[in-house]
Amino acid sequence: MKILIVDDFSTMRRIIKNLLRDLGFNNTVEADDGLTALPILQAGGIDFLVTDWNMPGMQGIDLLKAVRADEKLASLPVLMVTAETKREQIITAAQAGVNGYIVKPFTAATLKEKIDKIFERIEAQQ
Amino acid sequence: MNPTNEAIQLEAARALVNALEAGDKTESASQLALLTQTQESDLFHQVGKLTRELHEALNNFNLDNRLADLTENDMPNTRERLNYVIRTTEEAAHKTLSYIDKTLPLASELKHTAEKINASWHRFRMREMTADEFRSMSKEIESYLPEVTNHSDQIHANLSEMMLAQGFQDLTGQVISQVINLVEEVEDNLVRLIKVSGKQKEHKNNVNEKVDPIKAEGPQINQENNVNVVNNQDEVDDLLSSLGF
Repeated sequence: MKILIVDDFSTMRRIIKNLLRDLGFNNTVEADDGLTALPILQAGGIDFLVTDWNMPGMQGIDLLKAVRADEKLASLPVLMVTAETKREQIITAAQAGVNGYIVKPFTAATLKEKIDKIFERIEAQQ
Repeated sequence: MNPTNEAIQLEAARALVNALEAGDKTESASQLALLTQTQESDLFHQVGKLTRELHEALNNFNLDNRLADLTENDMPNTRERLNYVIRTTEEAAHKTLSYIDKTLPLASELKHTAEKINASWHRFRMREMTADEFRSMSKEIESYLPEVTNHSDQIHANLSEMMLAQGFQDLTGQVISQVINLVEEVEDNLVRLIKVSGKQKEHKNNVNEKVDPIKAEGPQINQENNVNVVNNQDEVDDLLSSLGF
C-alpha cells in the first residue's frame, strides 16, 4: 500500500507520515501541493491519497476533482485532512467524491477510524 | 490649445487684419466671430479636462474607502488572528510540556528498576546470592517485563501526542500568511494614498470581488459564532452522514 501525502506544510506531512507508520503504512511519498502531486499520481503506483485543502499552486479540492476526472485515477481513495471547516466546503468535497474528511487539529484515533472506514467501504463494494 | 485650432486662429487673424486694412466690415466681423469661436472651443476643452480630473479624484476617494474598510474590519480581524496564533502556540507548548512531564517519570522508573535488577543479576552471576534473594529477584524480573511493555506503550502514545501537537505550525502558519497578505495590502493602499495626495496618478478602480463560498480560508478564528462552519470532527461526520456518507 503506497500512500501519497499532500500538504504545503512539511511539519504536517511529517506528522501524517509518522501516524501512518504507526498504523502500519510504511510506504509513503510526499508532495507539497496539487501541481506536484498530480504527476506523481499519474505516474501510477499510488493506492491512497491524503491531501490538505488550502495550498498554493493547486488546492486540494482541485486535486480531488482532477483525480476524479482522470480515468486511471477516478477510483483512488482520497482522504482530506484540512483546517477548512465551512459547511459549504465539506459539501463541495463530498460532491466532488472525497472518501473521508478530517478537520485539523485531529487525533491519531480519528485518522485510524477514517482510514479503516474507507477501506471497509471499498471492501464492501468489491 | 490644439494645433488645428491654432492654425484656424492664425488664418482668421491674418484674414481679420487684411479685412480691416481693406475696410471690409462684413469680412472683418465674420473673421472676428471665427476667432472667438475657436477660443470658446479651447475653453470647453479645458473644462472637459477639469471634469475628468475631478472624476479621477472622486474615484481615488473610493480607493480610500478600501483603506477605511481595512482599518475598520480587517485590522480588528487581524488582531483576533494574531491572538489565535498566541493561543494555539501556547496550547501546543503546554500540551507538549505536559506529555513530557508524563513521560519522564516512566523512563526514570524503567531505568531505576533495570539498575536494581542489573545489580542483583550481577550478584547472582558472581554466586553471591542466596536462594531467597534469587526468588525475590525472579519475582522482580517477572513484574518488570510487563512493566517495560506497558511503559513503552505509554511512552509511545505520549510521543505520538507530542508529535500531533506540532500541527500548530501548520495552523498558525496559515493564519500568519493571511496576516502578511493583509499587511501587504495595507502597505499598497497607503503607498497609493500618498501618491494620490501628492500628485494625481492613474489608478485602477477597486472592483468588487465576487465571493467564492468554498475559497480556502485556513483555520476559522471565531467558529463558535459562525453557523456556516463546523466546530469539530463530530459535526463534520454528522454533515457528511446527512449527505448519505
